[in-house]
Amino acid sequence: MVLEATVVCVDNSDFMINGDYKPTRLQAQAEAVNLLAGAKTGSNPENTVGVLSLAGVRGPKVLATPTPDLGRVLHCMREIKPEGSVSLVQGVQIAQLALKHRQNKNQRQRIVAFIGSPLAEEEKALVKVAKKLKKNNVSIDIVSFGEEAAQQNAEKLESFLNAANSNDQSHLVTVPPGTILSDILLSTPVFMGDSDDGGSGAGAGGSGGGAGGGNDFEFGVDPNLDPELALALRVSMEEERARQEAARERERKEEEQGKGGQGGEGEGSGEQASAGDSKPETEPQPKQQAAVEATPRANNNEEDGDGDVEMTDDAILQQALAMSLAESQANAGGGSAQDPVTPATTREADKTPQAPQKQEGGASGSASAPLGFATEILSNLPGVDVSDENVQQVLSALKEKQSPKRSREEGDEGDEEDK
Amino acid sequence: MAEVKGQQDLVDLIDWSSVEVLNESSAKPWANAVKKGYRDDPGLYLESDCDEQLLLYVPFTQQVKLHSLVLQGPERAFAPSSAKVFVNRTSVGFDEAEAEAGTQALELESDDVLEGKPVALKYVKFQKVQSVTVFIGSNFEDEDVTRLSKIVLFGTPQFTTNMNEWDKACKT
Repeated sequence: MVLEATVVCVDNSDFMINGDYKPTRLQAQAEAVNLLAGAKTGSNPENTVGVLSLAGVRGPKVLATPTPDLGRVLHCMREIKPEGSVSLVQGVQIAQLALKHRQNKNQRQRIVAFIGSPLAEEEKALVKVAKKLKKNNVSIDIVSFGEEAAQQNAEKLESFLNAANSNDQSHLVTVPPGTILSDILLSTPVFMGDSDDGGSGAGAGGSGGGAGGGNDFEFGVDPNLDPELALALRVSMEEERARQEAARERERKEEEQGKGGQGGEGEGSGEQASAGDSKPETEPQPKQQAAVEATPRANNNEEDGDGDVEMTDDAILQQALAMSLAESQANAGGGSAQDPVTPATTREADKTPQAPQKQEGGASGSASAPLGFATEILSNLPGVDVSDENVQQVLSALKEKQSPKRSREEGDEGDEEDK
Repeated sequence: MAEVKGQQDLVDLIDWSSVEVLNESSAKPWANAVKKGYRDDPGLYLESDCDEQLLLYVPFTQQVKLHSLVLQGPERAFAPSSAKVFVNRTSVGFDEAEAEAGTQALELESDDVLEGKPVALKYVKFQKVQSVTVFIGSNFEDEDVTRLSKIVLFGTPQFTTNMNEWDKACKT
């Protein structure tokens, strides 16, 4: 991501009518310039691209001053007509002048020159202007193409480049005829310059004016330039690292706890069924929203835990309704069902503290029911021994309590406390 | 280190990201002569590349009054002998720098340059300085390269409030 201003020098001499690069040399150049401008502005939104024509009746002419606006570049590429012959020395000097007056002084300066016609200038003059470019920190990429021109110019352009090159920032690319100009250029340093700078130019970045460079620093900020920012970045980095460490620690702990919890679930999976079964009875009562919210989770657990999974929703609902009816009729309902379910309910109580009590409150609001049904349900549940002393005790206790609301609730609270 | 009474070293007010030095050698960049620490090491110096000229463009983060400057070279042969100072010119090239008189032209004494003594500027001409361009045209023995080990600008800031820290001040 080098921030730079680029002036593209287009060769629009009479040689450009030649069709050895499809469709014509000039069209091929236009396409390459469009792509290049896109690549330059794409690599950094503040990059600017200008266009200059090297040939013409009145010599080189700036068609577009460096601009971030791709439209202007595309537009002026359409306007170029082939005429006259190139004068590279003059063109490069004008391009350099255009770059010197760029608006953003932080931009590095670069000239991309397309040369497809034989150069009339002496090598000496070229080297002189190249030295001037180097002196003014201007990099230059030369694209040499055309059958005879490339051969004739090779030597001149080579020495031109050597004189202008500092830090390997300038390049010379020769494109053979019969190929597509833009395709060949895509894989050359002319286009790849940015990524190239990231790697090999890292050392150069620091020395190259300090404006664009900076890839070689830890956070992309030169700690010498801005010690406070660098410090802030480092501190923020440390904090983030600490945070992640803490998160990882917590995760691990949770995982361990989760394993323990799963073990418990495994034991209590059977009992969960009753816990889940007691839930649907809460649904018709709107004030028990909290409980209702908790039920889906409980139901899911239940389904994971035992073999009810195959049952359709309808069947489950029906069964649940029937059970809740039965349970609510059995004044024992809530209590008896809940009692043996200690592990499951306590876990739920952790999640939604009020839920169990409310449910039981709801259950207690119902009339008496045959105790036999409660016993039957209990006996059907895996892991519950109906003959167990505690269960028997509860059942007998239920027998005695003939559904006076107050005493039921007290009893429930007692149950809770027991747990 | 040389000091000027009543004036401060303006190194903290330099807008680093916009400093530009033309004709610097890539191996010996401007930071060697301008930045704190680097500039105090005589072994680190800024060297010119193609010829003996150097052009340093140093913008400030706020307006300053410039009082004097230090140009120090490591060896007499390569040390700068003449300089021109331009004020508030954003795009001075070598051509303009050579052709124009500048805000002030300096003929440097070799003793001053070697010891790093401050050279006084015409204070009245350096009252509202946003950026300063120092053009070094020649060295003492017409060597191909010029070496500059230290440049220090002495002056006073126009505003004592650094507006860059305004945001920070508002938040606290």
